[in-house]
Amino acid sequence: MTPVLALRGITKRYGGVAALDGVDLDVRAGEVHALLGENGAGKSTLMNVAYGLVAPDAGAIAVDGRPRRFANALDARRAGIGMVHQEFALVDALSVAENLALALSPPGEWRWRRARVAAAAARLAARAGLELGDLDAPVGGLPVGLRQRIEIVKALAGETRVLILDEPTAVLTPAESAQLFAVLDRLRGDGAAVVFITHKLSEVTALADRVTVMRRGRVVARTTRGEADEAELARLMVGALLLGAAAVPAPAPDAGLQLQLEAVRVTRSQSVGLDGVSLALHAGEILGIAGVDGNGQDALFELLTGLCPPLHGTVWLGGAPLRHFDPATLIDAGVACIPPDRLRQGVVAAMSVRENAALNRRLLGAGGWRVLPAAQRAAAQTMVDAYAIKADGLDTPVRGLSGGNVQKLIVARALATAPRLLVAVNPTRGLDIAAAEAVWAAVGKALERGAGVLLVSTDLDEIVARAHRVAVLYRGRLSAPLARPFPVERLAALLAGREAA
Amino acid sequence: MTASPGAVAGAVARWRALRMPLLALAAALAASGVVVVLAGGDPLLALTALLEGAFGSPDAWSEVGVRASPLLLTGLAVTIAFRAGIWNIGAEGQLLVGAVMVAWLGTRVGAWPSAVALPVLLAAAAAGGAAWAGIAAVLRTARGVDEVISTIMLNFIALGLLGWLVQGPLMEAAGAYPQSDAIAATARMPRLVGGYRVHAGLVLALLAAAAAWGLLFRTALGFEMRAAGLNILATRLAGLRTTGALLRALALSGALAGLAGGIEVSAVTFRLYENFSPGYGFTAIAVALLGRLHPGGVVAAALFFAALDVGSTAMQRVAGVSAVLVSAVQAIVILALLAFEQRRGQTGAA
Repeated sequence: MTPVLALRGITKRYGGVAALDGVDLDVRAGEVHALLGENGAGKSTLMNVAYGLVAPDAGAIAVDGRPRRFANALDARRAGIGMVHQEFALVDALSVAENLALALSPPGEWRWRRARVAAAAARLAARAGLELGDLDAPVGGLPVGLRQRIEIVKALAGETRVLILDEPTAVLTPAESAQLFAVLDRLRGDGAAVVFITHKLSEVTALADRVTVMRRGRVVARTTRGEADEAELARLMVGALLLGAAAVPAPAPDAGLQLQLEAVRVTRSQSVGLDGVSLALHAGEILGIAGVDGNGQDALFELLTGLCPPLHGTVWLGGAPLRHFDPATLIDAGVACIPPDRLRQGVVAAMSVRENAALNRRLLGAGGWRVLPAAQRAAAQTMVDAYAIKADGLDTPVRGLSGGNVQKLIVARALATAPRLLVAVNPTRGLDIAAAEAVWAAVGKALERGAGVLLVSTDLDEIVARAHRVAVLYRGRLSAPLARPFPVERLAALLAGREAA
Repeated sequence: MTASPGAVAGAVARWRALRMPLLALAAALAASGVVVVLAGGDPLLALTALLEGAFGSPDAWSEVGVRASPLLLTGLAVTIAFRAGIWNIGAEGQLLVGAVMVAWLGTRVGAWPSAVALPVLLAAAAAGGAAWAGIAAVLRTARGVDEVISTIMLNFIALGLLGWLVQGPLMEAAGAYPQSDAIAATARMPRLVGGYRVHAGLVLALLAAAAAWGLLFRTALGFEMRAAGLNILATRLAGLRTTGALLRALALSGALAGLAGGIEVSAVTFRLYENFSPGYGFTAIAVALLGRLHPGGVVAAALFFAALDVGSTAMQRVAGVSAVLVSAVQAIVILALLAFEQRRGQTGAA
């Protein structure tokens, strides 16, 4: 069978580094093809070549056996290839229909014909079996899952036979992911080819017909469904690295409390708040806060970083009740955070690695009113060395670092403040396995020093692997904590809100 | 061992920072040459006349220094505000208020020694500018009024205020012209070299540039201003000052602009009149941008714009090219700079 999309010997160099080194890939009609690999393995670059965004230095592209040359994404779209990037290209101020018109209107159309756009959108949505909701709603206020559906419909415009998705589940809740998988399954049944880039093993085994594993710009393995289990795929992906979370030593039974919440209520206008939340976190303990995204995680983060004071209830830090809620007070009390949105909340992207390494009240204030570049440089170099942060010098803006390296810098900085409480929200989201292990190794050291870690994560696998106890957030209410070994059925019920907290 | 690659990286970064303004200057020079030809002039003659006029005599150098002082101080004012992400377009109004302070108080300090009178007057000028900028700061923090709008509006109000003052309360005793009385001799800024107009204000402006650099890059407050200007949420989560840092930046910006106006009265005009400032506070935005919002760059940009201004008179006389062309050259430089900047942004994103 002729592959619908064939890449042959694709090579791309940036500077002296080969991002892609002679990569072959066949994608067949009616399959879901997973492209698996760590960050920086070359998956996104390869797909950007297939979508005409990156011109390869060498290699050939064929669609339906006919050689093609893509000067830009428009060429690729005309050849029937559509792509949904991690960053959505939507205009927030425009409605769903208006956003769709940007992709669905025929060339040369100059009039705004809502009915025609709506009809085209409905046809494409029906093909993929997805629901777009109110076409006149402004895109800015929609949840991420729905925005992604709009992007999928845009990518399906024309006669798209190859749909490429770059880490589509990274931004989705588990429920949204399940819906997405149903859509991809339907497209597969419809004869389309779906390529999805991921580094989540469970998604690969759940959905993919065939898997191509990449490492350092090369294909290291090709396998089909059922041929390799998750452990085998992980071994292929990371190479020689040893797998498996380091055993977490349990906290001393008489360890003191680092954080205590009693009947805390937080209200927020835009999203779910906290409703009578109580918890206790011991020194040396990781308390996992599981939950589907949007059940109060934002409120908990903002409470514990001082952005949002509680309406009722009390928060104790290391035995002392907190009276003032602002970030400076909490940092002085020994709180450090790994925020959920690293670029918006964690770093000043336009400032250098050196300056971002000092972007904390405790670290910046160490020099008094003065800033000493030499001392900052030394401190930043220590972080870069200890966490193997890949940066082109300490003076490069953080903007130029990969997501994993930004995250490592944030973690390094948070732990450099020697916190008593670390509030970590999705600390390894989007990280490759090696980077995630580096983050957890660092957290382990903080635990040994007696810090308490509140692990707020939507990744249940991570929580189960790392936490000593787990409590579940559902609609702003927190369940009683569960101890190891975690009863999986009970967790699932709590996550779905089927069991009273 | 680690110092050497760091030094190389630093040199590369410095060259990268300098390359764009220099390329922009070259492009602007070429474009200006075309304009001169179109205007029927000889571009080479015009250029030599311009250079001769700006640097050809001690007097020319002195005049460049006189012109550069207010441009440098207001350029620094804009730089500090922009670095903190505050679009202070009101340097002109703040400069006028500073000038009013010195013109008003400067007639009353005749009995004081200069060593007392001058610092008091300059402090009053800075305070006046800071207070004028403070109105915009209060409007922003209390009512959320965009400082771009408020500072522009405050320019008009300052201009109106000046007009009313020189025709009313501050009008000269003789009552002949709409201008204030000349300030006392003790209120006048000393000159640097006898017989030339260049004054101690230039030294103050250069010291201010050094201080601005130190503030921005060597103090925690400057760090907070820059960080808050770029990402206020991340800065707040880091426990650093945000609103406080921004308000300080705006007040400091106003103080520098006010100082520029005060020095201008104290050292150059000695009195206040309408059209007192040829738009220093607006040219300051161009100066700050050309200087890439770096105090060192702003010094160079202020001298460059001052030289263009001073040289243009000679250019008009010798080459018969209108001095208006110099405004065109200044505008072309800014456009070229922004165009190169844009280009850089695009390649950087790819």
